[in-house]
Amino acid sequence: MIRIQNLRYSYPSSPHPSLKDISLEIGEGSLFGLLGPNGAGKTTLLSILSGLLPCPPGQVWINDLDLAQPGTLQRTRLALVPQEYAFYLPLTVQQNLEFFAGVQGLNQQQRQQRIARAAAQTGLSERLGDRAGNLSGGLKRRLNLAIGLLNEPRLLLLDEPTVGIDPHSRHFILQTIAALNAQGTTVIYTSHYMEEVESLCDRIAIVDHGEIRLQGELQALLEKQGSERLSLELQQPLGAGERALLPALVTVSDCGRQLDAQPAGIRELLSLVQQLQHLGIVRVRYGQHNLESLFLDLTHRSLRD
Amino acid sequence: MSATGFLIRKELQLLGRDPHGLALLFLMPAVFILVMTFALQNQYSLNTDTRLDYLLLDRDQSEASARFVEGLAEVGTFNRLPDSGDEAALRARAQADDAKFLLIINTGFTGQLAAQQTAVELLFAPGTSPIFTVVVESQVSFLLKRLSLELSYGELLESAEDIRQLINNNDLYRASSLFEGEQQYPTSVQQNVPAWLLFAMFFIAIPLSTTFISERQQGTLTRLRSQGIGRGQLLAGKLIPYFGINLLQVVMLFLIGLYLVPWLGGDQLTLGQHPWALLVIALAASLAAVCYALLVAQLAGTVEQATMFAAVCNIIMAALGGVMVPRFIMPATMQQLSDLSPMAWGLEGFFDILLRGGDVMSVLPEAGKLLLFAAAMVALATLIERRRA
Repeated sequence: MIRIQNLRYSYPSSPHPSLKDISLEIGEGSLFGLLGPNGAGKTTLLSILSGLLPCPPGQVWINDLDLAQPGTLQRTRLALVPQEYAFYLPLTVQQNLEFFAGVQGLNQQQRQQRIARAAAQTGLSERLGDRAGNLSGGLKRRLNLAIGLLNEPRLLLLDEPTVGIDPHSRHFILQTIAALNAQGTTVIYTSHYMEEVESLCDRIAIVDHGEIRLQGELQALLEKQGSERLSLELQQPLGAGERALLPALVTVSDCGRQLDAQPAGIRELLSLVQQLQHLGIVRVRYGQHNLESLFLDLTHRSLRD
Repeated sequence: MSATGFLIRKELQLLGRDPHGLALLFLMPAVFILVMTFALQNQYSLNTDTRLDYLLLDRDQSEASARFVEGLAEVGTFNRLPDSGDEAALRARAQADDAKFLLIINTGFTGQLAAQQTAVELLFAPGTSPIFTVVVESQVSFLLKRLSLELSYGELLESAEDIRQLINNNDLYRASSLFEGEQQYPTSVQQNVPAWLLFAMFFIAIPLSTTFISERQQGTLTRLRSQGIGRGQLLAGKLIPYFGINLLQVVMLFLIGLYLVPWLGGDQLTLGQHPWALLVIALAASLAAVCYALLVAQLAGTVEQATMFAAVCNIIMAALGGVMVPRFIMPATMQQLSDLSPMAWGLEGFFDILLRGGDVMSVLPEAGKLLLFAAAMVALATLIERRRA
């Protein structure tokens, strides 16, 4: 169980704090989605959890142990899988796995067992002799994940593990993560792909400008926001006159071309459709809230911004 | 094997997969040593087997000119080439660097000598070194003056045996070198082996800094640090293998000087009276090179920047430090500037042992400078890394 309480963090070179009073609870065995636009503070949070950045005392506890205390990290059996291909492209898959297992102080027998297991979990058993640089993007992502599994982690931090790969490899990696979670591994997962988070995670937190904007069980959050929503996509952006007509429960995004109404604002927005027709209505969507719309409502930014 | 052991093995595996890096560290200096040793051989062996080829045109064809020609033939460093053809043809051959110089004995040679007028013309080939022109001019001048004395005071000299002996006496001085090797003088190989060795040692800055930067960019360093690998272990994992590679360079390039160069017909490298002292200067130079590579890794943001920066800096340090051009050829100001280059410190250290019969104590000043340089590089690299963090 991870408990974060009023965590603040500023980089020495920046006058603005990257994290402001972050408080979070992530239960053991949970598959937790951490969402936020670029620069929101996700990587800073993962860096503190993985020990790359110093943790202020009394603000982060893992299994009731203060992360700032020496030895906590070593007892946690944590693995960070960075977004980049964090391995050596000139070496073979086997050499990479040997190296990363070796630096963890595993003996030869342990190394062989762990390498075989991690390779099997990620479907790389047949590719151990291949040079890492010659692997496809999807197989490189799997190797990135396999290295993270070598210490049989109880807490796995995944930073965008499916960026830039084909649907087949993405599906394989998501299945692997779900299987690991089913075996009891706590997973913290960041991604730009909302549908991945929505299908995979049981709990989420949305971070923006170093603050938690929302957290909790995904289904409960979606229901709490209301089941209905109406979106209008315009060809031309709203002018000042049209903006003044909008009711308070309608949010504007995409430089004035996207209008989203909360359930209580739907009727009022519909009554304005006639007056907005001269801007060219490209699309009207009516449906349930999903994670993407929830995110847009909270941050007024697309996740890929 | 410990974590540091795995870090070292990984570094060697990466280098093993990098043919360009291997060529840069081992093939390039080996080729430089062979090429430069043979190319500069004559610069160093002027006192032994240098032959200055020349062409001769005797317009006078007199008894005096014949004696002068005989005198020229007795000069050990001069080698007269067959000189068939007219003056234009001989000039053309000298112009084309077939010979170092063309010597023309003017018509009326005897009278001109007696009247102390120009009796001989010396025409040097365009590529002749100024050192050689000085040697030729002094020899020709000596022969002409001796002949002039003999022609003017021949009868007097016949009776004054002591004056005649004085003119022909070459035993008034004895030249030798303080170099304590099997040969009398230091040779080209003595300059080139340590010089290009130092050049190659500092070139580890390229593979070392580029792997460091790749690790930083690809997140591998992040991953290793998240696995609890400390900065000390990471540093040791870099320094130890490249330290070993530097020592391998020392062994390989010295073996080339000891066995390959003489086998190919060059002079053999001699190791001085205290060869083990070479290890002291080699270790200090290696530490300086490795720490310099760490600074390059911190200064450069990309692999391309590191490669360019390290290569340019190495060439400047080598040019200044007497690797490409021996320091004794440089003018005084350049020699003072040369003292700024760590390669010059290393080279002086090697020369202390190889040429001057020095021991461990005699190389301590140079080794000390290199160690201070290494400490300064590490301090700067640490400062930059902290600022970046």
